[in-house]
Amino acid sequence: MNGTTKRQLFGRLGAAAAVPLLAACGTQPPSATEGSGTKTAGKQKITYWGSFSGALGQAEQGIVSSFNAAQNEVEVDYQFQGSYEDTAQKLTAALQARTAPDMSLLSDVWWFKFYLDKMLMPLDDLIKAEKVQTSDYVDALLKEGVRNGKTYWLPFARSTPLFYYNKDAWAKAGLPDRGPRTWDELTKEWYPKLKGQTQNGAIFAHPSAASYIAWLFQGVIWQFGGEYSDADFTIKIHEPKGVQAGEFYRSSVKDGWAYAAKDESGDFNSGVALTAMMSTGGLVARQQNAKFPVGTAFLPEGPAGFGCCTGGAGMSILASAPKERAQAAMKWIAYATGTAAATWSMASGYMPVRKSAVSGPQFTEFAKTNPNIKTAVDQLAKVRPQDSARVFVPNGDQIIGKGLERITINGEAAEPVWKDVADSLKREADPVVRKLRALNA
Amino acid sequence: MPLSLSLPASAGTRERAVARPPLPPLRGALRERLTFLAFVAPNLSLLAVFSYWPLVQNVWLSFVEWNMIAPEQLWVGLENWAIVLSGADFRQIALNTLLFTLFSVGLTLALGLSCALLLNQPLAGRNAARAVLFTPTLLPGSAIALVWIYMLDPRWGLIRTVLSWVGIASPRWLIDPAWALPAVILVYVWKAVGYSVVIFLAGLQGIPRELYEAARVDGAGPWDRFRAVTLPGLGPISFFLLVTSLLSAIQAFDILRVMTAGGPVIATTTLVYQLYNEGFVAFNAGRAAVYSLLLFGVMLALTAAQLRFVERRVTYS
Repeated sequence: MNGTTKRQLFGRLGAAAAVPLLAACGTQPPSATEGSGTKTAGKQKITYWGSFSGALGQAEQGIVSSFNAAQNEVEVDYQFQGSYEDTAQKLTAALQARTAPDMSLLSDVWWFKFYLDKMLMPLDDLIKAEKVQTSDYVDALLKEGVRNGKTYWLPFARSTPLFYYNKDAWAKAGLPDRGPRTWDELTKEWYPKLKGQTQNGAIFAHPSAASYIAWLFQGVIWQFGGEYSDADFTIKIHEPKGVQAGEFYRSSVKDGWAYAAKDESGDFNSGVALTAMMSTGGLVARQQNAKFPVGTAFLPEGPAGFGCCTGGAGMSILASAPKERAQAAMKWIAYATGTAAATWSMASGYMPVRKSAVSGPQFTEFAKTNPNIKTAVDQLAKVRPQDSARVFVPNGDQIIGKGLERITINGEAAEPVWKDVADSLKREADPVVRKLRALNA
Repeated sequence: MPLSLSLPASAGTRERAVARPPLPPLRGALRERLTFLAFVAPNLSLLAVFSYWPLVQNVWLSFVEWNMIAPEQLWVGLENWAIVLSGADFRQIALNTLLFTLFSVGLTLALGLSCALLLNQPLAGRNAARAVLFTPTLLPGSAIALVWIYMLDPRWGLIRTVLSWVGIASPRWLIDPAWALPAVILVYVWKAVGYSVVIFLAGLQGIPRELYEAARVDGAGPWDRFRAVTLPGLGPISFFLLVTSLLSAIQAFDILRVMTAGGPVIATTTLVYQLYNEGFVAFNAGRAAVYSLLLFGVMLALTAAQLRFVERRVTYS
C-alpha cells in the first residue's frame, strides 16, 4: 500500500462516515424549503402544496399557470401532495425537518391543528398590503378561518354536502324532478317506488369513515336536533337527539333503503346507488362521468328541520415563510380566491368564495345552463360551520366516522357506540382546550 | 539467485516480525481493540443513529403527550400505556394481528411447499409456471391491492363471476367485517407464496438423490420418503422461511392500507396499522410509540422463541 498507512486509511474512512452523520445531526434555521423561494428572472418563487388530483387537479394547475403568466412578480411552484390527509401528514413531517413550503392548502379538519401550535401566519397585514377586500368574501366562509380577531385560513375550495339523485331513475319511478323535502318523504313515499331499480333494493349509499361519513352526518344530527359538541368542546353526541339520529342511520341499513358502500361516488356514477349525499366539489366531474342526468337538491329535513354544514379546504401561509415570500404567497391567494374564484367554481363545482364571483356575469351565465351548481350557492344561505368535535378535536372526524361505521356496518345500537365515541372525543379534546386557554391568556 | 528468493515465505514473515520490536502486552491488546473498533464503527454508528437511538427515543415518547409539531412534549407517565392496553379496540387489534399472521404465514408455507413439490417434478411447462408463481412477489403491494379491489368487487368482480359458476353468491369482501380479514389474507398469500416456492425449490434440489434412492431400496413409499427425507432435508430452509415470513407478515402494511384502510370498522386493523393510525392519522406520537414498542416486543419474543424451540429441531447437515 503505497503512501497510505493503516492509520491514515481508518482515519479517512472514519471521517467519511462522520460527515453525513454530523450533517444529519446538525440544525438548520427554521425556514421554508431551501431551494424554493429564490428570485428567478426577477420573480419571487414560492412553494404551494396542494391536494387535488384528476379533473380538480387539472383545474387548479390551470389557475396556477394563468397566475404565473399574468404577472411578473411571483412564480408559484405547485406541488401536489396527495389527499387532504396526506398533505397534513407531509406538512407535519416537513415542519419537523424544517423544510416546510411557504403555503399549503389545508382542509377544514386540519388547519386548526397547525394554528394551535402556532405554525400558521396571521394573514391580516399581508391582506392589507395586498389590498384584498375581505368584505367581498362570503362572510360565513371567511369567519371560519378567523381566531381571536386574526385570519389564518382563507376560503378556496369550500363545499357543502348536496343530495344527489339519478334523474333517469326518478323519472322511471314517476317521481317529481326534485330532491325529497324530508327523510320521511324519501324513505316512506319514494323508496317503495325506487327500490325495484337496484340489485339489492338499497337506493342510498353511505360512505366509509375514510370518505368523510362524519362530515355528511353532521347535517343529519342537526336535522334531528342534536350536535356533536358545542363551541366550548362540551361533547353532546351521546345525548338523546344524537342517539335518535344515530338510530336513524342504523335503521337506514336495517330497513334496506341504504347500504354501506366501498366507493359511494363510483356507485352513484355507475347507477348502482340511485342517490347519495356527497360534496359539491367534484360536481362538474360527476356530471361528466355519470351515465345519466344528475340531479342535485338541498339535504332533506329531519324532525328538527333543516341542517347542513360547510366543508372543504382553504389556504394558509406557514409561519416559517420569510416576509417577502409570505407577501408573494398572499398575492397568489388573492388571485386564486379572487380573480379566479368564478373560474375555479365553474371548473370544479366548489362554491364561489367571493360575493362578486357569485353575482358576477361569468358565474351567473354559467349557472343558467348548469342549474346544479346553483343548488350549492342557494343552500349556502342556510348552512352553518361544523361542530368543534369534528373539526377542532384531533382525529375527531375519524373517531365519529368509525362510530358511524359501527352503527351502519355492524348494526350496533347508537347509544353505546356514541358513549364510546363521546369518551374518546372528550379525551382528545383535553389538549386542545388546554392549548386554547394558553393562546387566549 | 538472490537469497531472499530462496527463503520460504514463512521465513520472510518471521524475519519482518523479528525486525519489529515486540509490543508490550497491554499496548498490543489496545491496538487489537482499536482495530476491531475501526472495523465495526461505521456499521455500529449507523445502527446506533438509525436503529438504537430511535428505539430509546421511542421509549421516551411512550411517556409523553406530543402531536409531532408542538414545541413541547408533555410528560404523562403511563397514561399512553393505560389508554392503549385498556382500550376497547386493543383486544380486537391483537386478535386481528394474530389471525392475519398465523393464516398468512401458515398458508404461504403450506402452499409454497406444495407448489415447490409439484414444480420439482419433471413436468411440461414447469419453468413458465415457476415464473408465473414468482411474479407477484416482484410487484408492488399497493398495485396488487388495487387490482384485487376490482377482482373482489361483489357486483362485477372476477371472483364473483367464478363463484357464480358454482352457484355461490359473492360475499361483500371488503365491506363485510366477517370477510375483510380473509380477503386481505388471501391477497397477501397470493403475493408472498411465489417467494417461498422459489426458496423451497432451492431446498428440494439441495437434498442428495442418494438419500431417496437409499430410502427406495429400503422399501419406503412416497409418503415415507417425504416424511423421512424431504422434510428433514428442508429443515434449515423451512426455519429460514418461517422466521422471515413471520416478521414480514407481522409488519404487513401496504395491502391493508390500500384495500381496507384497517376497516370496515377495525376488522383489518393490525398492530402495525394502528401504529400508523395513531402516529400519522391522529398524530398521537405517545400512543404510536406504545404500539411500536409492543410490536418490537412481539417480534423479539417470536424470534427468541424460534431460536429457542424451533432451531433446535433443525438439522443443518
